[in-house]
Amino acid sequence: MSRSRHRAGVVHAGGNDAVRDRKKDWMDLRGNSVDRRSILRLAMAGSVTLPALALAGCATGGGSSDDPTTTAGGNTSETNPFGMADKSTVEAVIFNGGYGIDYVTFAAGVVEKTQAGSSVEVKPSTQIAQELQPRFVGGNPPDLIDNSGANLIGINTIADQLEDLNDVFEAKNLEGTTIKDTLYPGVEEPGTIDGKLVAINYVQTLYAVWYSASLFEANGWTPPKTWDEAIKLGADAKAKGKFLMLWGKEAATYYQTLAIGSAIKEGGDEVRLALENLKPDCWSHAAVQGVFKALETIIKNGYMKPGGGGTQFTAAQAQWSNGQEALLYPSGSWIENEMKDQTKADFKMTGFPEMTVTAQSKMPYTALHSAAGEGFIVPSKAKNVAGGKELLRTMLSKEAATNFAKTKLAPTIVKDTVPADGFGSTALQSQSKLLADAGDDVFTWKFVDNYGMNQDMLVPWNAFLAGQFDAARLTSELQKITDKVANDSSVKKVEVK
Amino acid sequence: MPLSRVVFVLVTLGLPFAFYTVFVLWPFVQAFVYSLTNWSGFTDTFEFVGLSNYAALLKDDIFLKAVRNNLLLALVVPLVTIILALALATMVTVGGSSTGAVRGLSRSSFYRIVSFFPYTIPAIVIGLIWSQMFDPSSGLVNAALTGIGLDQFESFAWLGEVSTAMPVTMFVIIWGFVGFYMVLFIAAIKGIPAELYDAARVDGAGRFRMTFMVTLPMVRETIQTAYIYLGILALDAFVYMAALNASGGPQNSTLTMTQDLFNTAFKQGQFGLASAMGVVLALLTLLFAAIVFAVNRLSGGKEA
Repeated sequence: MSRSRHRAGVVHAGGNDAVRDRKKDWMDLRGNSVDRRSILRLAMAGSVTLPALALAGCATGGGSSDDPTTTAGGNTSETNPFGMADKSTVEAVIFNGGYGIDYVTFAAGVVEKTQAGSSVEVKPSTQIAQELQPRFVGGNPPDLIDNSGANLIGINTIADQLEDLNDVFEAKNLEGTTIKDTLYPGVEEPGTIDGKLVAINYVQTLYAVWYSASLFEANGWTPPKTWDEAIKLGADAKAKGKFLMLWGKEAATYYQTLAIGSAIKEGGDEVRLALENLKPDCWSHAAVQGVFKALETIIKNGYMKPGGGGTQFTAAQAQWSNGQEALLYPSGSWIENEMKDQTKADFKMTGFPEMTVTAQSKMPYTALHSAAGEGFIVPSKAKNVAGGKELLRTMLSKEAATNFAKTKLAPTIVKDTVPADGFGSTALQSQSKLLADAGDDVFTWKFVDNYGMNQDMLVPWNAFLAGQFDAARLTSELQKITDKVANDSSVKKVEVK
Repeated sequence: MPLSRVVFVLVTLGLPFAFYTVFVLWPFVQAFVYSLTNWSGFTDTFEFVGLSNYAALLKDDIFLKAVRNNLLLALVVPLVTIILALALATMVTVGGSSTGAVRGLSRSSFYRIVSFFPYTIPAIVIGLIWSQMFDPSSGLVNAALTGIGLDQFESFAWLGEVSTAMPVTMFVIIWGFVGFYMVLFIAAIKGIPAELYDAARVDGAGRFRMTFMVTLPMVRETIQTAYIYLGILALDAFVYMAALNASGGPQNSTLTMTQDLFNTAFKQGQFGLASAMGVVLALLTLLFAAIVFAVNRLSGGKEA
């Protein structure tokens, strides 16, 4: 601007007629520019006052009144327990991750047959929170959502906008058995918030340490039952030019999952409750420290493959499942499906329960950290709530659940869908065995997910596994993260007993 | 005002301004309003909480760490990129033979194309390529370093060590932008009348003197523009960070405000707090631009 004004000054100084004419033109333009300015000013004033008038509205308007477009319920019956309206449409948004969406499409096909005339739309999404956030605000969420993946919606945030799904568990499945009688024990636990079943977690996930049975057999190794045995195995591995364990940067907290699982088995429920309720010094419990010290020894002795802090986690996992550079990898049971294309032939992936600190642990070695994953939710404001529940009921029936186990090589929360041969998968066979061996000694915890702490916890874990932090520093950093949440009065606490 | 002129003003000014209001100003105001609330992002209700989100940010060490990282980026990335780009542009335009007309190195158009090449690759691809290059076990960088006998780089996690993660990230961003700014500066330098160089040369100025006394003063405005663009990019940097270290890097050493904002909004369901972060980022960006203008003006860049 200053430059053009400067040039205009030069023109003005020029003095001859032609220049003066040009100057006159310019003055005219300047004259008009007063009008232009007032238009600008008006528009500016408008743009400031308008929002002020509509502040309360904004993007959050429109959804506050009861949605009149909700499909009116049909009559309930044995074959239509939720009263799904005749010939109605169901919309499901499914996280398109390790399990894909075809298992829901399969169930959708069944619904379209059992509820003649209805149509079920199954849409994939990899960004659940971002894609569905405006729809929650606008009051038109889909009828069924698989709230999963790295970008899931924090369930605490939307719990009061979700249907209580207890009636799905109480309903009869397509074969006529009450659904809750067909499920593994404790499956309602992860989806329950303050006594309300807001999510049905569909896939039975168990956490274990995974290894190649063929590699162990060839070398005469056996899976370690205590951390001391694990350290010894680390020495054997080193002698063969292999590492005991490895990690990837996004999955450093898999070692936290392993450590907590192991500590709970060692110290029993008091360890679990201290962590769940974010007690001060919860990370300093002797059982937790025993595990941290053992891991510290493993890292110090060089049994942990270095460089994990800069390695993408699936690349790191391939170094284990394909390169066999390390012996053990702690993970959930999704690992076989996740690494299906990057697993060495004849790897014979097998899982064993977390090591304990001593042989005198409070829970037996066979105790298992297991929790259902893939939380399916039905928003109360959805157009076809009954339709969403009907699709869920169908998924929990024998046909769809068996289809899932067979195509995904993972069991759902529905029992007895996996045959003894595990559809030919060693990992699936070992899952069935682990669940059977554990009996009622099955536990899980929710504090990391409930308060969204994983992101923060990755930081000290990456540093610890890389040898930058010792066990003491890891403990204090983790305590800092839990204390921050515990002392934040704006975060609603879930008390665990 | 004649009707035709009214129509003209409405079409050329009113229409763009209407769009600007709806798509730029309005969201700004909205974000600011949300920053005063405890909105979770998934409901249609919220309460006004005054400035408590801003107070929380001041006490949030992770956010403050992210602010520091962004400021470091905004300091280093534009400076290094512009120095490199200017040096290359000078070589290509006026760094050639000192006899005859002022010209660049021979085959300069080849160098120009080669160095512009990274800019044609999308940022996310650049990030992914380099994250593979720096992979501790299978990356080319460590393979080359161990290949020449530097065994300490075996499995060295460039993006996983606090000391190297940020420098490596900066290197990747700079690598992606030097070529573009080189081309920008070439255009600016080509706009300088050749007589100035001839006169300087007749007066006995060497290449360095010509660069500092003729080229730099003449492309000053372009440098200022480049500095602001690069600064804004460095204050954002989301795409590069998402590809290189999506979770914020070792001990959050490469966490940026935009990443923290994203996590707060979508992973922790605190849109009010995230909006406050956005407002802080916008203010910092404006401040950055103001500082660049002020520095340029104070050092005599503009005919005030």
